[in-house]
Amino acid sequence: MKDDLLQLDSLSRRSFAERTAAAALGLSLLPSAEEAIAAASSAGKAKHVIYIYMAGGMTHIDTFDPKPGADTQGQTGAIDTTVPGIKLSEYMPELAKTFNDIAVVRSLGQKTGAHGGASYWMQTGYQESPAIRHPNMGGWAQRALGKQHPQLPDTIYINGGGPGAGFLGASYAPLPVADPTRGLPNSKFPVKNAELQARLDALEGLNDSFLKKYKTDDVQAYSDFYDNTLDFLQSKELEVFDLRKEKGETRQAYGNGRFGQALLLSKRLVKSGVRFVRVGNGGWDMHGDLWNRAPGKINEFSRGVATLIDDLKAEGLFDSTLIVLTTEFGRTPGINANGGRDHHPRCFSAMLAGGGIRGGQVFGETDARAMGVKEDPCSVRDFNATIATALGLDLDKRIYSPGGRPFLIANRGKPIMQLFS
Amino acid sequence: MTKFVIALTLIICALDIACAAGKVRRWTDVQGRKIEAKLVGYQGGMVSLEMENGRVVRFPLEKLRERDRERVMQNLPIDLATASVDIDKLIWEGLKRANVDIKEQRAALQADTQIDPTERNKELARLQHMEQMTHPTQPLSDAAFMRRVYLDIAGRVPTYAETQNFLRRGKGSAKRAALIDELLDSEAFVSHFFNYLSDLLRVRDGISTGGLGDLKTQAYADWVKDQIRSDRPWDKFVTDLLSAKGYLWESPAIGYLLTDQGMELCNLSNTFTTFTGTEITCAQCHDHPFEQVMQIDFYRMAAFFGNLSYDSTENDRLLGHIQSRKKDFAEGAKAAKQNAADLNRLFAGYNVNLGDTAPENVVKLPFDYQYDNGEPHQSMLPGVYFGDPIDVSAADSPRRAFAEWMTAETNPRFTINIVNRLWKHVFGIAQIEPVDNIPGHLDGQAQNYDLLKYLERLMVEVNYSVKDFLRVLYNTKTYQREACYTSPTLSMIDRGEFHFPAPILRRLSAEQLWDSMVAMSVDDPEASERRTRILEAYREIMSVDWRLTTYTDARDRLQKHNQLGRQTNNNQMKRASELPLPNRVGTFLYAFGQSDKKYIENSSRDGTIPQVMELLNGSLTNKVMSADSKEMVHLAKSETSVNDGIDIIFLSILSRLPKPMERDYAKTLVPGDGKGSDYSDLIWALLNMREFMFIQ
Repeated sequence: MKDDLLQLDSLSRRSFAERTAAAALGLSLLPSAEEAIAAASSAGKAKHVIYIYMAGGMTHIDTFDPKPGADTQGQTGAIDTTVPGIKLSEYMPELAKTFNDIAVVRSLGQKTGAHGGASYWMQTGYQESPAIRHPNMGGWAQRALGKQHPQLPDTIYINGGGPGAGFLGASYAPLPVADPTRGLPNSKFPVKNAELQARLDALEGLNDSFLKKYKTDDVQAYSDFYDNTLDFLQSKELEVFDLRKEKGETRQAYGNGRFGQALLLSKRLVKSGVRFVRVGNGGWDMHGDLWNRAPGKINEFSRGVATLIDDLKAEGLFDSTLIVLTTEFGRTPGINANGGRDHHPRCFSAMLAGGGIRGGQVFGETDARAMGVKEDPCSVRDFNATIATALGLDLDKRIYSPGGRPFLIANRGKPIMQLFS
Repeated sequence: MTKFVIALTLIICALDIACAAGKVRRWTDVQGRKIEAKLVGYQGGMVSLEMENGRVVRFPLEKLRERDRERVMQNLPIDLATASVDIDKLIWEGLKRANVDIKEQRAALQADTQIDPTERNKELARLQHMEQMTHPTQPLSDAAFMRRVYLDIAGRVPTYAETQNFLRRGKGSAKRAALIDELLDSEAFVSHFFNYLSDLLRVRDGISTGGLGDLKTQAYADWVKDQIRSDRPWDKFVTDLLSAKGYLWESPAIGYLLTDQGMELCNLSNTFTTFTGTEITCAQCHDHPFEQVMQIDFYRMAAFFGNLSYDSTENDRLLGHIQSRKKDFAEGAKAAKQNAADLNRLFAGYNVNLGDTAPENVVKLPFDYQYDNGEPHQSMLPGVYFGDPIDVSAADSPRRAFAEWMTAETNPRFTINIVNRLWKHVFGIAQIEPVDNIPGHLDGQAQNYDLLKYLERLMVEVNYSVKDFLRVLYNTKTYQREACYTSPTLSMIDRGEFHFPAPILRRLSAEQLWDSMVAMSVDDPEASERRTRILEAYREIMSVDWRLTTYTDARDRLQKHNQLGRQTNNNQMKRASELPLPNRVGTFLYAFGQSDKKYIENSSRDGTIPQVMELLNGSLTNKVMSADSKEMVHLAKSETSVNDGIDIIFLSILSRLPKPMERDYAKTLVPGDGKGSDYSDLIWALLNMREFMFIQ
């Protein structure tokens, strides 16, 4: 019902007044994203997003924004990349080598230092509120562009969750895959084919009288879900979740941990047509013992993401797939008594690649100790606007909650057009 | 005036209706015409007015303007003994009116020679669908009635024993009324209605308290269940939520305000939405575009909560005692080779003591306030924008005064809100949709205005007893009909054109599905050992004289404290109300749309692929098939004939016996010919039937 109400486009008794009101609030006086897109030819090319989320607050100074020689640098060294003058942390040789394919934003700023609120901001573009739940970017995209994959949900979350479909409702909900190595939960029939067929035959007969009596939309919707799911579970499509179909060397190239395997699964999903895949990577809240914990984790993603880029290129999907790597905030350049770094919302870094992004560049700059943004600040909203623009979403189009409140994708953020080619 | 009288005299009829006689006063019709008269009766949608010359005129209620219509409706007495019948009558009148109206429209359409035939056919089809929905559906059979009330009141399907017990009780409506009473007084009702309230009020485990420590917020959930169990009147319950003060274990109702701690403006919006069905969130930033609420009103109302405080001076004293004892505790800990710092987890609980001691007038207009009636940063005095004005000085705190205003019978939205929500809870669609956005003027907005006003008076008549109110609704003939065979269109609902020929067909909620499958698998789903309750234990642990206690005692309390409400397992075979709130991502309850308890009424009954996969292949389906309790599987396997076993499975899952053809299908799924046969495939098939998933 909630979903249906969203699609109710005729002017109903209340929505009429609301729409009038929204117009009166000046929501249409914003710069048009279409103009912005026209200015940059590669924007709007992305059909898929692989959204890698570093939960807990990834340290910026030890990854994408090293400050060699600064008193805040700690034990992390810096190495050259393929682009003269741009350095990355020494734990990231693979990404340094493929730097021509990636763009780094070093000037992100966050409004809060609390994990929950900051993660919500980052992934929805909105401030968390007990009055309304906002969708993630996969949900916004599905609402604006329509369903992309014929059977699978358009948004799939691997390795843990983030903000869900919010006010958009269940048909926009992400499909959770808790462990990429164990496939899609509940997708295996516990009985042999013959027994399954007997069950299904009987089920069809048993359903008959109820389906004849009740011809409501909800009943029809469930019958369709059953048909689609049964088709899907017995089709080759299901194999997309089965990483055993991959060569051992491919699996190894991504990294044997859950994170690497999740990246591999994300590529398989994108290849099958899924629009938005979120890959979770937790454990970044390093308040202590950072130099025993960070190097391995940083290298894990450097290697995995570099492999993902190569693989997407080999599949011909790199230009249509935007890779985003981000987190809720950075970590304090000052090192604390426990050899760790604390929450640092003032500045942090993120990475973009593929999907129309021009690689080999850095946007924004922090000061000499990586304490604050010095040049070209990028707000969380601007960052979301950039992702949305890569997908070709209209940032001025009002999207209504079931209560009739108007929302804009990326919350009036301005896309960073120089990231596109 | 003359014209009006002439119009009225045309419909003079004989009068034999006794009705609360009113005073002579002025009545106005929808066209603004006036008449001096006395209300002498109302029946069948017709109002009888006696004019000064003694002449009595009758005319349709809907011809009066809204305020006068309310006057008529509010003067009618309510007889609880006939309330269910009265509701059925009002429904029937609504359906009849709609039916006549649709037939007129159809006749006009058919007479119209100008209209394009394709358009005409489209319009005729629409009218035919609407006409269908003015006919009441078939009355429910005893079996279907039983299944419906168990699901709606107890929140799960009846067990095999319960089914047998009811079906063998003989015939007649008395046994139905008796079952309704029995279920409303059961522990199962507490569990089910708690699920409803925890979705509405966002009751959840682990309310974030901004780093203030380890609060066992499950105590609040326990308290809400207690209020349901004792049928605390709704107005008193809401007053408690808004005005409670003290520690969580002493005064668990503070959980409501703690839910939005640090976000008092959002809490105010939520309070209005939840308890008055009024959406004022937008007034936080600008004047409401189409209701009479201005931005300044929002801040005036927020000012009632302006001196809400999270820790009181009493608290400081207590923490002082603890502080003064820390050295002793440290020595005790050293002797016991423990770390005294561990006790901090226990002490943290004392950090939250809700009170009203914050400085006055802290609520100010925002920095960017742009209207002429106030200045940015201006302090606000408490005030309300509708209803009776509030005298803050008379109450012991401003928010207490606000709570009394909110819940007063004279608040035009408080009663309407709860009856509208409960109607939806019972019938699937509210009288006014959406429930959280009741317009200032109800005229022409409700599906059945007369009925809505009647329900409002009924709620007052039962003194805001939710149970008694629900009891009346469950006893109506309208409720006891088969669910609507087709769905009303959204535009029908939106335009107030759905008149309740029956409840609509609803999918079981996540909790109803889970609880039903638990009921098939365990011996007594409501047994006290399956409940999780911490309130008394929490109170016991935290009630301590810190000036006197020893380290050993404190340590003992800490250990008990840490054990409280531990519910890490999301898949225990307990009722959903006793499991973690909410269940985590990837669980059965999550897949079927349980609310995340962060947003008002955030549960969903929409279908998704993971739901189908849960029922086809999930662990709960397998648990039901292989349950080792004395319930369904055991009972069926004990039967010597497969036919009897099949009956038990059907009665346990669908609450009815199989039809002959269904029995044939069932037999193909049950190998063997009697004792010990494997019913797994049959159970699987019934759990995956659409019939199981819906309340018909």
